[in-house]
Amino acid sequence: MTNDEPHTSREPTAKSDGGATEQYIPLDAVPESAPRPDLDWGTRIAAAVPSMPRLLKYAIAIAVAVLWIVPFLGLFMASFRPLGEILAGWWHVEGMTITFENYRRAWSYQTAPMGRALFNTLVVTVPAVLVVMLLGAMAAYPFARFEFPLKTMLFFFILLVMAAPPELVAMGNYNTLREIGLFDSYMGLILVHIGWGLGWVVLFLRNYLLGIPEELEEAARIDGASRYQIFRTIILPLSTPALVSVAVIQFTWVWNAFFFPLVFMRSPELYLAPQVLPLMTGRIQVEWGLVAAGSVMTMAVPVFLFLMLERYYKQGMVAAVTD
Amino acid sequence: MSLRDHIDGLEADRDTASGIDREKAVAIVIFLVPGLTLFGIFSVGPIVYSAVGSFFSWDGFSMESFVGLDNWIRTFADPLIIHWDNIARWRFPMGALTQNLLWVVLHVPISTLLGLGMAVLFADLKGRRILRSMVFLGFTTPTIIIGLVLMFIYDPQAGIFNELLRVIGLEGSVRNWTQSPQVAIYALIAGGIWVQTGFNMLLYSSALAAIDPSVIESAKVDGAGRWRRFWDIVWPLVRPVTAVVVIMGIIWVMRVFDIVYAAGGSAGGPNHSYSVLGIEVYRAAFEPPIDYGKAMVVALIQLVIVAPLALYIARMD
Repeated sequence: MTNDEPHTSREPTAKSDGGATEQYIPLDAVPESAPRPDLDWGTRIAAAVPSMPRLLKYAIAIAVAVLWIVPFLGLFMASFRPLGEILAGWWHVEGMTITFENYRRAWSYQTAPMGRALFNTLVVTVPAVLVVMLLGAMAAYPFARFEFPLKTMLFFFILLVMAAPPELVAMGNYNTLREIGLFDSYMGLILVHIGWGLGWVVLFLRNYLLGIPEELEEAARIDGASRYQIFRTIILPLSTPALVSVAVIQFTWVWNAFFFPLVFMRSPELYLAPQVLPLMTGRIQVEWGLVAAGSVMTMAVPVFLFLMLERYYKQGMVAAVTD
Repeated sequence: MSLRDHIDGLEADRDTASGIDREKAVAIVIFLVPGLTLFGIFSVGPIVYSAVGSFFSWDGFSMESFVGLDNWIRTFADPLIIHWDNIARWRFPMGALTQNLLWVVLHVPISTLLGLGMAVLFADLKGRRILRSMVFLGFTTPTIIIGLVLMFIYDPQAGIFNELLRVIGLEGSVRNWTQSPQVAIYALIAGGIWVQTGFNMLLYSSALAAIDPSVIESAKVDGAGRWRRFWDIVWPLVRPVTAVVVIMGIIWVMRVFDIVYAAGGSAGGPNHSYSVLGIEVYRAAFEPPIDYGKAMVVALIQLVIVAPLALYIARMD
């Protein structure tokens, strides 16, 4: 291959040839014993220990990461300590009193008990996630595989909704829910969350389905499978990773949502957990222990889910915004 | 595909049009209708409703008569949205739109740079997964809790930020940061940056992971310095991600609500000093005196600012 351009490549070719032949030593020159390590232990350890700049890099990285969770550390510590100690500074750890009083009080907080609020949040979140997954996958399938009228316009609407702030749909949904009698009910909030989540889920699953080869489906068609059978037995199982991503992200979104419950849930016994937290701040002296305990209980669920399904969460997040 | 093939394809379609295509059309409808119905009723419908309603006068929650641009003119002249006198003197409150844009101007560049910096910093360290999760934790937390945590950090007694000021000898600056009109917005923006950096770092990390380490190694061998390696190898690969990061940042900030609500309630702080557009929509729509027309206009302003950016992202691929 070097023959075409002799002037430019003669020198390197010659060199590398020489190098290649030097790799092989003649048979009689092979030594009897294995080569002795030419490095003593001191140099070896020195090589294994990171160099100064690298150590510095680790120190900076760890310092930054710790700095980033200090506020949560404070919240966590405050949730286990009496108010007096929190006001003196949660960072003073000597003579620390650990108490579960804050959790007990938050759990049965008089305006809206946290126990009840967490239950409400779960009641809203689980159906809102499951229905969005099913309907989203169903709608994404034709978007990925077939041409149909109004497809471009529907795409435009999906993008529009993804860009829209939740405040923009609040007025219309408020009137709709009043009209159909679902205002201030689980069902009303669930429907709003489903309608709001479907946009990104359809787009996300459609992009995923585009990456699955069509041959399998064609083979199944030839074998006489109906389109519904193909969807159930081929499409759904193959998109499991994407569906898990959808589940984690949608769950976190619905669980964490504050604005929709604030607008659509008005009876204290229907309050969702994020809605109750700002009520706990009180009027004169903020009850930090109570707020912290309530916050830790509320964030425990999405954080636990994130840590368990981190890979799906991150992949889904990256794919959802970059595709 | 040649023209001949194309015509053959058309003819084949026509042959089956009566039989298989009918079945296919029914299937498409069955797959689409349940999802699109809910999507239409609870997402597209309300947006159209707001777009139309912004040109009508309102009596409480019911639409009255067409008033043209009345609501729009009224809203832009409202000192709660843009307060020209205070902007000229650089005093808060400057109006929700101004404050929201100030939030964009500070939050987006800083969180983008921090996100990129951390992604590069963590890229080749052992235990980078744990480090990244620590930084990302804030983004998985309910934003209302972020707002409460900020109030806790900035509390004059119990807040660690004020303790830090005391330790470094700036006792004069100790105050309740989230309730001081002239500085509170910066304190909250810092909190927004704290949260969003984790998200930006995640996007940059996944872009950096696509870079072949051997390319960097060979650049090192060729004597390329740190900066040169960054600009010539890393930057061209992370540049498209930067567009996404910046646009997602703007969308996030234009929607910001929970953090401001937690710190300042539905007024958006003392004398509305750090109110944002979302807060103004909520107050106009759901707290007496109810002004649906204004609420719709403000929400549409939010959309108009971000919609072209979202369409730009969609066009990129």
